[in-house]
Amino acid sequence: MKKPVRIVLRHVVLFLLAVFWLIPVIWLVATSFSAHKGMATNSFFPTNWSIDNYAQLFARPDTVCNFPAWFKNSMIIGVACCIISTIFVLMVAYAMSCMRFKARKPLMSFAIILGMFPGVLSMIAVYFVLREIGLTDSMFGLILIYSAGSGMGYLICKGFFDTIPISLRESARLEGASEFTIFTRIVIPLSKPIIVYTVINSFLSPWMDFVMARLMIKSKNPADWTVAIGLFNMLQKTLVSEYFSVFCAGGVIVAIPISILFVIMQKFYVEGITGGAVKG
Amino acid sequence: MKNFFNGLKNYFAEFGTAVAKGDIWTRMSLLILGMGYFGRGQIIKGILVTLVEVAVILFTAMFSAPYLAKLGTLGTVQREEVFDPLTMTKTVNDYDNSLLILLFSVVGLLVLFAFLLIYISNIKRVYEIQKLKENGKHIESFAEEVKALFNERFHITLLTLPSLGVIVFTVVPLLFMICVAFTNYDANHQPPTYLFTWVGLQNFRNLFTNNMTVSFGYAFIRILIWTLIWAVLATFTTYIGGILLAKFINNEHTKGKKVWRALFVITIAIPQFVTLLLINKMFSDNGIINGLANQWGLVSWLKDAGIIASGANGIPFLSQPGWAHVMIVIINIWIGVPYQMLIATGILMNIPNDQLESAKIDGATEFQIFWKITMPYMLFITGPSLITSIVSNINNFNVIYLLTNGYTTPNPTLANSQAKEIDLLVTWLFTLTNDYSNFKMASVIGICVFIVCAAITLIGFTNLIKGDREEDFQ
Repeated sequence: MKKPVRIVLRHVVLFLLAVFWLIPVIWLVATSFSAHKGMATNSFFPTNWSIDNYAQLFARPDTVCNFPAWFKNSMIIGVACCIISTIFVLMVAYAMSCMRFKARKPLMSFAIILGMFPGVLSMIAVYFVLREIGLTDSMFGLILIYSAGSGMGYLICKGFFDTIPISLRESARLEGASEFTIFTRIVIPLSKPIIVYTVINSFLSPWMDFVMARLMIKSKNPADWTVAIGLFNMLQKTLVSEYFSVFCAGGVIVAIPISILFVIMQKFYVEGITGGAVKG
Repeated sequence: MKNFFNGLKNYFAEFGTAVAKGDIWTRMSLLILGMGYFGRGQIIKGILVTLVEVAVILFTAMFSAPYLAKLGTLGTVQREEVFDPLTMTKTVNDYDNSLLILLFSVVGLLVLFAFLLIYISNIKRVYEIQKLKENGKHIESFAEEVKALFNERFHITLLTLPSLGVIVFTVVPLLFMICVAFTNYDANHQPPTYLFTWVGLQNFRNLFTNNMTVSFGYAFIRILIWTLIWAVLATFTTYIGGILLAKFINNEHTKGKKVWRALFVITIAIPQFVTLLLINKMFSDNGIINGLANQWGLVSWLKDAGIIASGANGIPFLSQPGWAHVMIVIINIWIGVPYQMLIATGILMNIPNDQLESAKIDGATEFQIFWKITMPYMLFITGPSLITSIVSNINNFNVIYLLTNGYTTPNPTLANSQAKEIDLLVTWLFTLTNDYSNFKMASVIGICVFIVCAAITLIGFTNLIKGDREEDFQ
């Protein structure tokens, strides 16, 4: 007789936890449909509903909010970084996992040591470097920053490559395949989960990052901003009472493509992480 | 460490033999890099290598030498503007820019260092070819060498571009910032208007000084301790929370596992900066939570109970030390647990079932099974990633910065060194550079963060993952 009670209890607890986790999300969605532009403080759900925030976001760009331009900028940066980073990560991971050469171990230790310096420290110097090349305030500069160092994030991918049986590669070599052929014809087709994982991660990081973008893009023209800078700017003390619900609407719009990506790729995603983490 | 020195010794020993035993062509490569290849008929390679040499020499002579010459002082001529009333133009003298001197010196030195490596390996290679020739063996043609770049030397092709990216956008900036730690580069010494110069270890001394004018010592100790507490708390709460949630959802009695999992995963899908800013607003002094708490009489009840000050606007969730510390850790649980849950789900599914079964047959309780089988198994697999996540939490900039955007410290001694109670070392570093242009102290703090992270990694990897415990779990 004890069992059913416990099972019901289990679901109740789970339900409470889910509610706890979803409150901010629900509030975000609810506020995005609020007719009141500022932050409501008296009721959780808006008193008057409207879709004006979304209309403003897409149809009425002004000096603070130019969402279509931000979305386009972030999209371009995201896609470019995604392509470059994925190629870099796969290249480095293959070299470190499947090939043996003298500098392999020293390079790996060097990458670990380099990774222990706080990223914030080098940011300001990266800004100086970019300023000398004349690439601040440009999307090309941001793409360079996000993707140039991406080779350092090869570890999880290497862990995954390590699990691909050596015999596969060896038999290919006996048949006369070059390393290039093995890389492109054998290892890459076998690594779908980890490629999906890398693609998602490198596509998302420019969307999520805001510190670097804020340092590099000093332009006052909203059309030059990324989604992250633009949304952050709306919450400034002087603007928050006018733009809070618009910010929420922007947050929802950004979350939609990412959620769709996640749902489709969830299976690969879990496989990718765990496959790589076990040995990594 | 011993391996490292042995490797270094061999490296130079090989170079020595190449020079000592090389013939005329090999020795001529000491001066003109391509000579060794010309002598064996590898004309194209010889030309390419010589071109590299010429390029490096030109680059150093034309570009970096003027900067390197001033590296010792970081410049002596300050910028001056002279306004000529006759022609109505401003003339600026030929001033030194300390920032550019330091930056381009770092670049110039790196280029020279890279050239040195190429130089040494080139001599070795030339000597190898000399021996091949002496033994009458086949010497690769240029076409064959290019082909090898896609076969046995494929790693060179693979690694060149990624390494170049890392060098330009990570190594150069880092070296530059490390150098800045030994200069007086701050708000009062900003190029191009002013010069900065070397000050030795003065900044490091300042970091541990605490007197009327300098309070960095006071702030540093407090922030370091909070950073460490935060890193440990943040890592372990989300880790254990994630495992528990994964176990809870994956239990055989739970209905609709996928739906539950998806509910939690939704929170990952919203970009972190959006959720963090949103939660920051939710819990701000005049945010929704305080508004509701006011309506329900919670605020006045807390005031009566003496838990919050009677003059307060509301519950100071993110605006008072203590409250803010606890809130940050809780909010971080909210952010981190779903992600950990995903990872743990993947690993938990792989726990060998027979172990769990036999434990059950032996009469172990759920609790015992969790602590004696599940946890050790998880720790074994995720041990290394735990250490890396402690390190990444030390560097967890976003959570603290975005959540406490708007926090002002009530402590004047901390404020004197531009720090706040809830700052991590990295957020403090960021405030120092971004708001106060205090680059010298920021660099010193950055170096300290590196030392802390390196120490944790070393201790962690030698103690936690001691020995080979693989058999226990197979």
